[in-house]
Amino acid sequence: MPAMVEYIKADSFFHRLNPITKILWTFTVLIMSFLFNDPLAVFIILLSNLLIASISGILRQILPVIKALFIFSFLLIIFQIFFVDEGKTLFYAIPYFNIGRVTDTGLDMSLVMSFRMVATVSTIPILMMTTQMTDMVVVLVEKLKIPFKYAFMFITALRFIPTFMEEMEQILQAQMSRGYNSDTRNPFKKLVIIIPLAIPLLVSSVKKTEKMAISMEARGFASGPRSYYRKIDMRKTDYAVIAALVAVIPAAALMPLL
Amino acid sequence: MIRIDNLSYQYKNGNKVLKNLNITIKSGEFAAVIGQNGAGKTTLLKHLNGLLKPSQGNITICGLDAAKTKTSVLAKKIGFLFQNPDHQIFCPTVYEEIAFGLKNLGVQHSGIENLVYGAAEKVGIEQYLKTNPFSLSKGQRQRVALASVLAMGTEVLVLDEPTTGQDYSEGIEIMELVKELNVQGKTVIMVTHDMELVAKYAKRVIVLHNGTIIEDGPAEEVLGREESLALSNLQPPQVYLLAKRFHKQGFFKGTYTVEDMFDEIISYLEGEEDASNG
Amino acid sequence: MIPHFQRGDFYGEVRVDGKDTVENNCASIAYSVGSVFQDPEAQIVSSMVDEEIAFGLENLNIPRTEIAVRIKESLEMAGIPELRHSSTAQLSGGQKQRVAIAAAIALRPKILVLDEPTSELDPKGSMDVFNTLGKLNMEYNVTVVVVEQKIQYLAEFCSRLVVMEKGGIILDGPTRAILANQEKLKEIGVNCPPVTRLVDMLKKEGLYQGEFPINIDEAYLVISKVLSGKRR
Repeated sequence: MPAMVEYIKADSFFHRLNPITKILWTFTVLIMSFLFNDPLAVFIILLSNLLIASISGILRQILPVIKALFIFSFLLIIFQIFFVDEGKTLFYAIPYFNIGRVTDTGLDMSLVMSFRMVATVSTIPILMMTTQMTDMVVVLVEKLKIPFKYAFMFITALRFIPTFMEEMEQILQAQMSRGYNSDTRNPFKKLVIIIPLAIPLLVSSVKKTEKMAISMEARGFASGPRSYYRKIDMRKTDYAVIAALVAVIPAAALMPLL
Repeated sequence: MIRIDNLSYQYKNGNKVLKNLNITIKSGEFAAVIGQNGAGKTTLLKHLNGLLKPSQGNITICGLDAAKTKTSVLAKKIGFLFQNPDHQIFCPTVYEEIAFGLKNLGVQHSGIENLVYGAAEKVGIEQYLKTNPFSLSKGQRQRVALASVLAMGTEVLVLDEPTTGQDYSEGIEIMELVKELNVQGKTVIMVTHDMELVAKYAKRVIVLHNGTIIEDGPAEEVLGREESLALSNLQPPQVYLLAKRFHKQGFFKGTYTVEDMFDEIISYLEGEEDASNG
Repeated sequence: MIPHFQRGDFYGEVRVDGKDTVENNCASIAYSVGSVFQDPEAQIVSSMVDEEIAFGLENLNIPRTEIAVRIKESLEMAGIPELRHSSTAQLSGGQKQRVAIAAAIALRPKILVLDEPTSELDPKGSMDVFNTLGKLNMEYNVTVVVVEQKIQYLAEFCSRLVVMEKGGIILDGPTRAILANQEKLKEIGVNCPPVTRLVDMLKKEGLYQGEFPINIDEAYLVISKVLSGKRR
């Protein structure tokens, strides 16, 4: 989970785009995925995502995410595919008893759904991995007028995820050294059994937050108006990309007419 | 007691953290494992109670194969005192906190009370047994953690940075308790980077560097091996460095504690006095 | 400006630069006093070093160009200019604390107060932090007030020690004079450099009457004297 949102440092074309441009891109992908009903077309959109990831040097990190999304979409397919009646029968899931009829339309629809989901959802981690958190905050606060405190809360929560995961690991090991055993099948016992882990983590989180708060206050946090170190501009490339994105949607919509 | 044969450990990405370690620790020893952060000290410790399993090699803890035994079972033989007591404390009273380990080991309910009281007395916190551990000071909480380990009656006690993050005086109190336990027969293994602590309490010193053992021997020898220590960004204890300046004149060889140096000075001067009187 | 050393808790009123800390909010205090705390992990807000330093400056609404200047300056002062574009998660404990120091210094406080900054660090980290503090004091005239236990470093770097117990100041004076109070220090559980303790034991035996050494060089001279003293 934390890896999904961790910024991967690189200097690619995509990295250098303004976060707003990238956000618009995610919306474009979303719209495009819904404009087409042909599995091949949506798959091409998905491939374009991978291409962007590859150019940005984050392909290796994005593949596990894609894999996870496909596994999830496979479940969706299973639920959908047997309930479509139209179209020619392709095969049966259990041939001998003729149960689980899969038609070509059914297959098409399921594939479209699955590719659509992977394509649209995968834009988010790509966005996260190519954008520094603080840049996102600046854009959210300056352009979208979200109060700084909320944006800051969000970022800090994310920043602490790995810290708390590590802490959890340490707590688990400390308790295991006292003979603590978390093997149990009983669901009620499972609730009780996490108490020796949950309480130290809770106490530790509260203590850490207190210390953070003091450190932040000592540096004048929330004492008045705020300046921003990072400057995020819209450059010519950004406008060019946005123009392309905007143009591509009506073009795609018109394609069936050709 | 503890046998480590050709122990190696590597991460999934192939990074070798421990390389062919061979250590035998006998019953009743007081050994310090020192080294730079990242040298592998903590990784080694975690192998001792099965939290990590070796990639190659064997570890035997009091007759149990650490690679094949669950941590919850190894906990009967080897007890850990961690640096941060707050990673363990979760009960509403000190009594329950100390009893937790005993319950995990399956000790009979009737036997628990005696063991808890015994451990609390040894550590000097019997007056806090009904107190909420979260209301105690850090030093007191560390003592609660120590009592929790002691109650389990393990033969080996492992200390992970016992004085880091502590008040000096509280750290020393805990160490004195541990020293007493060692005198009574407990095997103690201590991981630390406080050289003065090593000088004061450890009888054997093992230096770990980049996953290998570069020194392993009696404290009086290893504490003087300046190059090995320097590799690990460590320095010999202050008294040793002072004593070293007199080595050429024949004094203080092998001395590294205040008490020893004092005794040597006294006996030298008495010898001189006798010589000049006699 | 002289660095101090304190141990124990603060009670009562604290006046900084003529302003009562209770009456004035933290921001105005931030201009006068920079703080660094014990836990390297719980001070760092950002994932990048330069942003961490910028954080305090942003809070005080300092213009962007000025921020860039101060980031460079404070990293130089803390002796870690090479870390400017590093990720904070990958730093060692010692490096994290030096970043925290730089972040505090960037606000150009008159006093830098540190609460057990090396307590969680290994010897190298501790040395780096103390060297940084020494540099800030000597080269940049920053007043440093540090609460610490590592007496060997304090003996080396601090020119004044203030010892507190149970809310009161028990001893306050030049380092050397304070460390001479062996009995008192032992009584309240404050550590002393081993060489100082050694000479204290010799003094009790009547073998030495001079000043207490607080480091190895001085102790060498003392012990030499003692060893040769009886050869008459």
